[in-house]
Amino acid sequence: MITKQLIDQIEGEASIFFDMKDDVVDFATIAFPHFRGMESILKGKSALDALVITPRVCGICGHAHLMATVRALENAYKNAGYPIELSKKVEIIREFTLVMEMIQNHFKWIYLTIIPEVSKLTDSTRESTPLKGAYAASIASKAIAIFGGQWPHSSYMIPGGITTDPTNIDLLKVESYVDELISFFEKESIGISLEQFLSFESCKDFNTLSSDISYLESSLVTMKMNEKGFAYDRFLVIGEHTFSKPSKLKQTRPFGIDAKYVNTIDSYSPDQVSYAKNAQYKDEFYETGPLARAIATNLPIVKNMHRRFKDSAYSRVMARVFELATLLKHAKGLLSEIDISQKSCLKSVDISKITATGTGVVEAPRGPLLHTVNIKNGLIQEYKIVTPTQFNIGSSSKSNPTPAQKAMIGMTQAEALFIFRTFDVCSVCTTH
Amino acid sequence: MPSKQDKKPSIIWFQGVTCNGNTHSFLNLENLDKLLNKFEILSHPSLPSTKDFDTITNCTLVCDIFIFEGTYDPLMKRNDVLISKVVEHYAKNAKYVIALGSCASFGGMFKASAPHRNSGLLFNEQEKSGPLLNVQTKIINISGCPIHPEWLAYTLSMIEKEREVEIDDLHRPIELYSTLAHHGCTRNEYFEWKVDADGFGEKEGCLYYKQGCRAPMTHASCNKILWNGVSSKTRVGTPCFGCTEPDFPRQNLFSTKTNMSIPEDVPLGVPKRSYLTMAGIAKTFHINRLEGKLIDYKTTD
Amino acid sequence: MARITKEERKTNIISAALKLFSEKGFYITTIPDIAEKVGMSVGNFYNYFTSKDILAKELVMYISEYLGESIRKINDQDITTEKKTYEIVSMYFNMADERPEMIEYFLRVYLSNREVFGDGCEGMICVSPFVTEMMMFFNDGVESGDLHDQDFFSAFGLFMGYLGGMVFLFGEKILPEPLEWYKESISQNIYNALKTR
Repeated sequence: MITKQLIDQIEGEASIFFDMKDDVVDFATIAFPHFRGMESILKGKSALDALVITPRVCGICGHAHLMATVRALENAYKNAGYPIELSKKVEIIREFTLVMEMIQNHFKWIYLTIIPEVSKLTDSTRESTPLKGAYAASIASKAIAIFGGQWPHSSYMIPGGITTDPTNIDLLKVESYVDELISFFEKESIGISLEQFLSFESCKDFNTLSSDISYLESSLVTMKMNEKGFAYDRFLVIGEHTFSKPSKLKQTRPFGIDAKYVNTIDSYSPDQVSYAKNAQYKDEFYETGPLARAIATNLPIVKNMHRRFKDSAYSRVMARVFELATLLKHAKGLLSEIDISQKSCLKSVDISKITATGTGVVEAPRGPLLHTVNIKNGLIQEYKIVTPTQFNIGSSSKSNPTPAQKAMIGMTQAEALFIFRTFDVCSVCTTH
Repeated sequence: MPSKQDKKPSIIWFQGVTCNGNTHSFLNLENLDKLLNKFEILSHPSLPSTKDFDTITNCTLVCDIFIFEGTYDPLMKRNDVLISKVVEHYAKNAKYVIALGSCASFGGMFKASAPHRNSGLLFNEQEKSGPLLNVQTKIINISGCPIHPEWLAYTLSMIEKEREVEIDDLHRPIELYSTLAHHGCTRNEYFEWKVDADGFGEKEGCLYYKQGCRAPMTHASCNKILWNGVSSKTRVGTPCFGCTEPDFPRQNLFSTKTNMSIPEDVPLGVPKRSYLTMAGIAKTFHINRLEGKLIDYKTTD
Repeated sequence: MARITKEERKTNIISAALKLFSEKGFYITTIPDIAEKVGMSVGNFYNYFTSKDILAKELVMYISEYLGESIRKINDQDITTEKKTYEIVSMYFNMADERPEMIEYFLRVYLSNREVFGDGCEGMICVSPFVTEMMMFFNDGVESGDLHDQDFFSAFGLFMGYLGGMVFLFGEKILPEPLEWYKESISQNIYNALKTR
């Protein structure tokens, strides 16, 4: 018998249709019911308008869309015979604001989504502090706004560079916000210094802590989430960044990767129309996001977790926590490399001279985000978007389930719903 | 004798066709907890809510303030219930209906998802023909893409203190939408003397003549209260896209429409002839200080 | 006998100055020459214009306002852009015919002696009323779809350079026919060059 469960508070909503047998999930399909037709909206528009439109695909990861768009446009310039050279300053600042968006995303997910879920499922009486996530996100947003003008929905990246020309006043201000975030994370979330936290090499190191994160970790163990929620144990990282290493990974073995092998297929959702398409790599399902990125960069603590607990829900959640820590440190490092004397934007030919196709890939908070644009005389002929949630949380048949579907099999319904959330779902991105 | 613990105004925050941008912008509000403590949040897309979503869509409750984010699509369902039913029920019983964001106010970005049937709650772009026309006296439009968190905080605080929120013809609070995004832009002197920006990425130059800045025609307080407390689009050299106005999004957003080099749209309320008399002439001057670099760093070899 | 107002005296000075500059040339004409022609003392003259340079600039603004007002009347009419083009050409040629000293001053003094006008007439400040009205003509023409969009100075140069050139030739007595005769062909040429394709 199929039972339907509505999930909300996932940047939108989704319905999971559970086929239960003996009180555990035999199979589940997922439907994302809302569609906005962003790809159609983009058709016929001036290519630069995409820089304003695509951030509106998503309120929490719109900045990643902005970067994917600008990379796609610059790639089109290159393919049209007008390659654009970016100054190092521009690359660093773009990277920095992207990293800050990831940081605000993870903070919110930890405090607004996953800790409340954990508390609910363990009947905890621990004080709930969701607004910690909002506060941290607001500080990260300030850091983005100094460069980007505002968050959400900045459009400060344009082909050739960025619109901002910062001074040292701006850099120092941004650094103070990063320091504030690190302090906050140390005091409120982990309970030790960031450096010490990043030096953890084993899960046993958590036993020394008493904090929100140690509570999360021990609750996951209590819930046996280190033995549950396994998917295919294969991963994908495509975006090129200073904090990630593009590769296809089978368990921890890395292979080469090329964005051109990403394909999408219609989702299998017999009980309700779903507007999401499943994303695959060479016709196979792969998991994306913080766990994938941590394995690709050989982060010792995550390698340790993976050795013991594979791609369990535990690993998935804790990898996200560690990504937050790693990115906080990384962000600070990026700032120190900025040379304000470099050009913020190098001139190029007018977009109306561009007739070409371009692809831009970015590692968004949940995994690779791909934008492909086909431009003719500066106007968009076609625009295709593939989002990370499409890789993780597609809906396919029983014989070939997607990572999220596979992870829910054999679980109780309550466990399955929890495991679903550990993928960090973004409904609006999935259907766009 | 009634205690100071008077019943807190209750809020239901419900969504139509949206990207959640307003939700996330609001979460950036300074001292968010203090504001939230003054209200009972029955339902919200990401904050802890006292009622579950099934209860909300069953339409058995009422609330004092109904906040709607996103474009209104009469065919859209949430939790298998038509949002038209939900909106009609809560709007009828609420004291205030807040159309949060340009999508809910005028149609905005996602009117284009289904242009023939999507609209704002009260306005369909400029036209007052939305689904909640019959309760228009309750409706406050807080337009913006996204809204600035302080705009919603202002409106909620005014409601909580039982002060009247005066609105303009487009139902936007006049205290928030009387200034222009142009007021307080750090590039104002370049606007005054008609020194155009040359491309992007420079500290100098006005973005109005060539880069499509809509700030002189847009009602917003972006350069007054600043975004995230620190900045704004124009302060970082990005043109204003006019996101609080009914015609957002326009097209060719990064360039100014001109007729023989004359901007098609001149600052609000200024007759074109008057504008040209001032501007046309200023454009032919050459003021060295304004045409040079703002900060002349000594280059160190 | 009715008292002549200060304004009327000023206008008389302007007319006299323009005529003299036209007959004798700008540099040769002196303040005493102008004062004599108007019938006032040199001392009194300085009550109206404190120097020849000041007078020179005021003359430009006077002509500019005159032209500006005339073009504004045409702009405000509810007629086609093609007709407006003809009316502007016609007005300009009429002025060259009936008050040649005004156009001549503009072409032969203002445009040709920049050193006189450098300080206080930077850019186009002194010809503002005239330029603004031409801007409105072009703006309305493109907005209504009659004229194709292009750079302002390209269009302005075409229109005004052409008219100025014709008036210059007229002044040199090179044109075989009266200026009136050329109105139709000139305005057609201008309109054809500027209109939408």
